[in-house]
Amino acid sequence: MADTPERDLPPVRPVVAAEQLATEGEVAIGTAPAGIPGRERSEKSRRVIVYILLFFVALLFFIPFFWSVTTSLKTLPESVGFNLLPEHPSIRAYRQAISAYDFNRYFLNSVFLSVVVTMSTLFLSSLGGYAFARLRFPGREVLFFLVLATLMIPHELRLVPVFQMLIDFPVLHVNLLGTYQGYFLINLVSATSLFLMRQYFLTIPKDYEEAAKLDGAGYFKTYWRVMLPLAGPALAAVTILTFQGAWNDFFWPLIIFLGDESKYTLPLGMFQFRTQFYTLWPELMAASVIAIVPIALIYVFFQRYFVAGVTAAGVKG
Amino acid sequence: MTVAKSRGSTLGRESVREALVGYAFVALPIASFLIFFMYPLGYAFYISYFDWGALGRIESLGLGNYREILHDDLFGHALRNTLRYAVIVVPSQMALGLALAVTVNQALRFRTFFRAAFYFPAVAGSIAITAVAAYILSSDGLLNAGISSVRGSEYHHSWFGDSGTALESIMALNIWTTSGTMMLFYLATLQSIPTDVYEAAAIDGAGSWRTFWKITFPLLKPGHFFVAVVSVIGSLQIFDQAFFVSGGSGGPNYSTMTIVLYLFNTAIDGVRFGYASAIGIVLFAMIATLTLIQRLLFGRAEVA
Repeated sequence: MADTPERDLPPVRPVVAAEQLATEGEVAIGTAPAGIPGRERSEKSRRVIVYILLFFVALLFFIPFFWSVTTSLKTLPESVGFNLLPEHPSIRAYRQAISAYDFNRYFLNSVFLSVVVTMSTLFLSSLGGYAFARLRFPGREVLFFLVLATLMIPHELRLVPVFQMLIDFPVLHVNLLGTYQGYFLINLVSATSLFLMRQYFLTIPKDYEEAAKLDGAGYFKTYWRVMLPLAGPALAAVTILTFQGAWNDFFWPLIIFLGDESKYTLPLGMFQFRTQFYTLWPELMAASVIAIVPIALIYVFFQRYFVAGVTAAGVKG
Repeated sequence: MTVAKSRGSTLGRESVREALVGYAFVALPIASFLIFFMYPLGYAFYISYFDWGALGRIESLGLGNYREILHDDLFGHALRNTLRYAVIVVPSQMALGLALAVTVNQALRFRTFFRAAFYFPAVAGSIAITAVAAYILSSDGLLNAGISSVRGSEYHHSWFGDSGTALESIMALNIWTTSGTMMLFYLATLQSIPTDVYEAAAIDGAGSWRTFWKITFPLLKPGHFFVAVVSVIGSLQIFDQAFFVSGGSGGPNYSTMTIVLYLFNTAIDGVRFGYASAIGIVLFAMIATLTLIQRLLFGRAEVA
């Protein structure tokens, strides 16, 4: 039992797949059932239909994005028409959005918040995940259960208490509402990330650490020099999951920054823009493109890690 | 004897050190979860028994807030909207997610591309996507242009602006954006079905349609439960899209008022913290019940 203390921890079923995904970096795709001789012709026509259907659905999935990009390159009068492509494509809407409506600032705020939250989550979730996976301390199971329990608490329920806490932080009596610090404080680390890191560390053979121990490395050094370099896929999944979450977050910025435009993020900026300038479509679409492109680029390059992160985050629902 | 004893105490000291380091490593996350999750849970429970305003406790109501919820027409409206939303969106998302997963799971060319394309709407943020949808569904938007050209006459319906279609438009939007996520969950479960089951079916001469309904679908049972619960929980928490299209009001004519939007307005605009917390507790109870059911079902069903 002392050898495998992790067995005592509560198993969480749906995450097995996520763990495997994190380990392998991608969904292991099983081979399709073999065809039967003599069926080949119907098989072939079936395939053609499947491809046509798939491309059609994929197109359907892409039209809205395509449409927002082309509109962002149009002029206002043109944006209410049905022209597929702009007659005189221009980046006027982008210039307007960036200079006249401050989307420049919102963009930088989004980058700042997302980067800081991602870094603190990476560090704290991997450090905590390592401790939960490897170090033995009394109460570990109880504390880990606490981590899992936080996954059940919907963030809407936390709205009022956290709002009040930020206005007048207990003990310290400072007002953190409307500050970046307030946002960072409530987003230091997430249970999903901690969980993902722990699961991943459990899959790493102990030989590596034992070698480090023989070399006289302490716990932090073992974590930093041995475990972290081995946890690449899990760190990538946590990075993407967290960055995407913070980048797209609307709920908490709305609660914390509402009314102070200098701190707006892109989603908040878009909301405000929409309510003020109801039909300035090219500018709004330019803002949407600015909000979607960074995350789309990350998605294109790190697609496989998205899969691992999302499936693991599914525990949270 | 002395040697063994001193060795034992070194070990003891080492394990104390290990424990202390362990506590230090988990200290910040645990503190964060206690302060920003557990304490708020308790606090919300506590103040839900009071009339609680910006300056704190006004008076004790006992279960008064909960009684008010039962008789609050606007809450009833928000609840009905949210449930109506869930009843349509959950099965649609599941069906679409399953169809996409089964298709993408085959040995196809460009499989990675298709999978990426179907999941992409879930990656782009809810607000950016809703902004795009607001444009496409506006009275001069792409959808109406398409309808006009099919009908041969001008059609200018404001999909989000009409109380008869506003919520339905959000439903359509979210079925589209989240079916990719459901596809990923189904894919993970599909991977766990052993291939020899399919080989046996192929030898028996079962067609692909039959194979799907007789083998794949029943074997996906754990996946169905998991996806259903994730989808229901997500539906109960619908907020961003409704807030964006209605400017936070839940309009037109409260057609996009959802539970969370009502909670938000009660807390932030109405400054009725006690009542808002009671609404949060009701939502929490709904979600917790569903999650427990899911855990129970999932605990029994083997995913392999």
